[in-house]
Amino acid sequence: MPAASGKRFKPSKYVPVSAAAIFLVGATTLFFAFTCPGLSLYVSPVIPAYNAVVFLFVLANFSMATFMDPGIFPRAEEDEDKEDDFRAPLYKTVEIKGIQVRMKWCATCRFYRPPRCSHCSVCDNCVEEFDHHCPWVNNCIGRRNYRYFFLFLLSLTTHIMGVFGFGLLYVLYQVEELSGVRMAVTMVVMCVAGLFFIPVAGLTGFHVVLVARGRTTNEQVTGKFRGGVNPFTNGCCKNVSRVLCSSPAPRYLGRPKAEQTVLVRPPFLRPEVSDGQITVKIMDNGIQTELKRTKSKGSLEVTESQSADAEPPPPPKPDLSRYTGLRTHLTLATTEDSSLLGKDSPPTPTMYKYRPGYSSSSSSAALPHSTSAKLSRVNSLKEPNSICDSGHKPSYRSEPSLEPESFRSPTFGKSFHFDPLSSGSRSSSLKSAQGTGFETGHLQSIRSEGTTSTSYKSLVNQTRNGSLSYDSLLTPSDSPDFESVQAGPEPEPPVGYTSPFLSARIAQQRETDLHGRFASAASPKHAAPRDPSPVRYDNLSRHIVASIQEREKLLQQPPAPGREEDAGLADSGIQSTPGSSNAPRTSSSSDDSKRSPLGKNPLTRPALPRFGKPEPPPALRVRSLGSPDQPAAPHLGKSVSYSSQKTASQAGGPETEEVALQPLLAPKDEVQMRTAYSKSNGQPKILGSAPPGSGPVPLSSPTRGGVKKVSGVGGTTYEISV
Amino acid sequence: LCPQVHSLQELRRSASLATKVFVQRDYSDGTTCQFQTKFPPELESRIERQLFEETVKTLNGFYAEAEKIGGSSYLEGCLACATAYFIFLCMETHYEKVLKKISKYIQDQNEKIYAPRGLLLTDPLERGMRVIEISIYEDRCSSGSSSSGSSLAGS
Repeated sequence: MPAASGKRFKPSKYVPVSAAAIFLVGATTLFFAFTCPGLSLYVSPVIPAYNAVVFLFVLANFSMATFMDPGIFPRAEEDEDKEDDFRAPLYKTVEIKGIQVRMKWCATCRFYRPPRCSHCSVCDNCVEEFDHHCPWVNNCIGRRNYRYFFLFLLSLTTHIMGVFGFGLLYVLYQVEELSGVRMAVTMVVMCVAGLFFIPVAGLTGFHVVLVARGRTTNEQVTGKFRGGVNPFTNGCCKNVSRVLCSSPAPRYLGRPKAEQTVLVRPPFLRPEVSDGQITVKIMDNGIQTELKRTKSKGSLEVTESQSADAEPPPPPKPDLSRYTGLRTHLTLATTEDSSLLGKDSPPTPTMYKYRPGYSSSSSSAALPHSTSAKLSRVNSLKEPNSICDSGHKPSYRSEPSLEPESFRSPTFGKSFHFDPLSSGSRSSSLKSAQGTGFETGHLQSIRSEGTTSTSYKSLVNQTRNGSLSYDSLLTPSDSPDFESVQAGPEPEPPVGYTSPFLSARIAQQRETDLHGRFASAASPKHAAPRDPSPVRYDNLSRHIVASIQEREKLLQQPPAPGREEDAGLADSGIQSTPGSSNAPRTSSSSDDSKRSPLGKNPLTRPALPRFGKPEPPPALRVRSLGSPDQPAAPHLGKSVSYSSQKTASQAGGPETEEVALQPLLAPKDEVQMRTAYSKSNGQPKILGSAPPGSGPVPLSSPTRGGVKKVSGVGGTTYEISV
Repeated sequence: LCPQVHSLQELRRSASLATKVFVQRDYSDGTTCQFQTKFPPELESRIERQLFEETVKTLNGFYAEAEKIGGSSYLEGCLACATAYFIFLCMETHYEKVLKKISKYIQDQNEKIYAPRGLLLTDPLERGMRVIEISIYEDRCSSGSSSSGSSLAGS
C-alpha cells in the first residue's frame, strides 16, 4: 500500500464506493444486455427506455452525491480568532426561534460551528448542515448535496424495483425459451437486486421521514430533538420543498479569489459628533475630577497637563474593582450616548494583538472583548486623531491613555477605565449569547451564557496539541499514579493551563519559607526545598497522608499554628464536591513539601476523575469554584481566618483545575478578584467563583487593615482593599 | 504634514490594517443567511451607524432573495433533473446570480462609503458566509512609526 507524501492513500476508503459502483453499473448492464432485448421484443420497447432513463437518473445523482462539495466551510483565518482562545468558552448559545441551540467551537476549523454544522472526522472538515458521511459515495452529505443523495436513494429504489420487476416478468412469462444463459443472468441480476433492495429501501424510507421532519441524520441519530422541538423545521411541505426545490447553495471552497480593487487611502472621513453628545460623565470619580479639572483650566493648563500626563496611568488591574462596582453608573452614562464613548478610541481588538501572556495581561485583560476602550473623550472629530492636533481635544489630552497610539501599550488607563463600562454595556449583548464581532471569551460572557459546559476552547486545543499539562493529566486515570501527573512542570508554563502549576510552585516555595517554624508539625525530613521537577506532585501525594495526621494534631492545638495547613482547605474544598468531604484532610496537604509523604492520595482521588473526563470536568472545574465553594465555604472561612496571615502574603496561583494541588486560599481569593475584574492572564478557570468566594473573603480580612495582598502569576502582587 | 512630504507611493502605503471587526450571523430565524445588524462598537468613530445598518440590511435582503423558494428555483431544479444536471455546466444557478449581485454591491459600497472611511468589507462568501469581515485601517505616519498607528493629522 503506497503511502503518498502528502495524504496517505487509503484504498480501504474507496472499497464501498467501488463496490457500489460496480454492482450498480454491472448489474444494470447485464440487465440491459440479457433481459431487455427479449422484453423489448416480446413485451414492449418502452421497458428498456424507461429503465434507461431511470438508470441515467440514478447515475447522475450518484455522481453528484459523490463528487459534489457538501458545503465545506473554509478554515477560519487567524484574524478571526484573535481573541485568546484559551479563555473562550467551548460553547456559545444562540437562540433560534425561541430555542437555545449550542454552537461548539471547532478546534480544527477555528470557529464556532454554525447550527447544524458538524465536523466530519473522515473528511476533516466542518460541513454545513451535516447529514452524515456516506461510505457508499465516499463523501459527506451536507447542505449542497443532500438533495442529490436523497434523489439518488429514491431513484435507486425505483431502479431496483424496476430491474427486479422486469426480470421477474421475463422469467415468469418465459418471454423467450428458457435458454440457459439469459435466464441465468436474469436470475442473478434479480438476486442482486432483491438483495440490495431491502437496505436501500429502508434507507430511503428513513430519509423520507427525515426530510418530512426537517432533520438531518446527525440530529436524528444523536437524538438532539428527541422529545423536544426542532427549531429548523418549517412544516412538512416547506421542508420537502426546501430540500427539492431550493436553489443549489454555492460552494465556499475553490472559489476564485476576488481581486481587491478598492484602495484604502488616508485621509479618512470620520463621522461627526454633535456638541450635545459630548457631555459624558465617564468613569470614576477620580477620573471625572481629573477631567473636570483639566476642563476648567485654561488652555495653558491643559497643555501643561498634557505634558504632565505623558506617561501612562497606573496599571489598571487592581483598580478595576472600583469600576465593576460602578458598572451601573457607567451603563447609565453609556446610554446617554454610547456612541460618544467610543468616539476616538482605537478599536479594542487591537488589544488582542498582544495575545496577552500571563505577565502582561493588564491591557488585554482589562478589556475582555471590550468593544473599544470607550473613552470619555468628548471630542467631535472630523479628522483622525492626531497628537499634533492638540487644540481639538484639550481636556482629554490630559488623559494620555486616550490617545490612540497609547492603546498600543499594555498599561492603559483607557482600557482600564472603560473596561467595566464597555463590558457592562456589552453584557446585555453577551447575555443574549449572540455572537457579535467579538468572541465572548471573558468572564461576563461566560457567566451570562450560563451553560454548564463552559469548558474552554483552550482545553480542546490543548488536548489536541497534547503538549500541555492537561493532556498529560488525562492519562493517569488510576489514582495513585500521581507521579504520572507530571503535568506541566515547565518553569514557564504555557498560557492558561500550566500557570497554576507555576504559581503553585511559587506558593509552595513561599510557604516553605514562611512556615519554616512549622517544621516540627511537618515532617522535618521533607524540609528540602521544592524543586520544579515533575516529581513535585509525587511529593505532594506522599505528603498528604502525613499532613493529614499532622493537621489533626494541629487542630487540637490553638488555631494559630494550624493556619497555614488549612490554607489548603480552600482549594481542596473547591475542587469538586467529592473532594469537599476530604477537604479538612486533604487541604492540609497544601503543597508543603515538608509534609510527610502519604501512602494514599485522598487528595488526588477526587481530583483524578476530573482529569479522566476532558470535557465535563473543565466545565465543572470552572464551576466548581462556585458550587462546591458553598459546602466548602465554612472550611474556607476557617482556613481563611487561620491562614490569612500566611496566605495573604503567599503567592497564590489562580485556581484552576489543579485546585487539588494548590491548596492555598490566597490563590482562590485572587481568582475571585480576577473573576470579578476581567480576564486574567488567559487562565480559563475563572468562573463563578467570585460570588461564593466573596463569602470567605471577608472572613479572611487579615490584620492588615483591610488590604489584602494577592499575588498573581508571574509574581505580581496586587493589593486589594477588602 | 507627513503625506505632503512623501511621494505618492508613500501616500498609498500609508494606510495600514489595524484590526478587523466581524459581524456575525443572526441565527434567530434558523439557518437562513442573515447577518446581525447590531452596530459594532469598534466602528463607532469610523462610520455612521445608519450607513452600516443599511449595508447589512441590504445584504440580508440579497441573501433572502437568493434562498427564496419559488417558481424560478423550482423550474431550475426540474430542468436540472431533466438534463441529468448537465445544465449546470452551462447555466448559472439562481443563487450564484444573486451572489454576483452581492459581490458587486459590496464592491460598490467599499468604493463609495467604506474605503473613504478607512474600512473595507469582505464578502462573507469568502468566510463561508459565517461573518462579514470589516477591516479597519489606520493612518500611518509615513515616517515609519508602528503600523498600529499613531494617528496623524490627515491634512
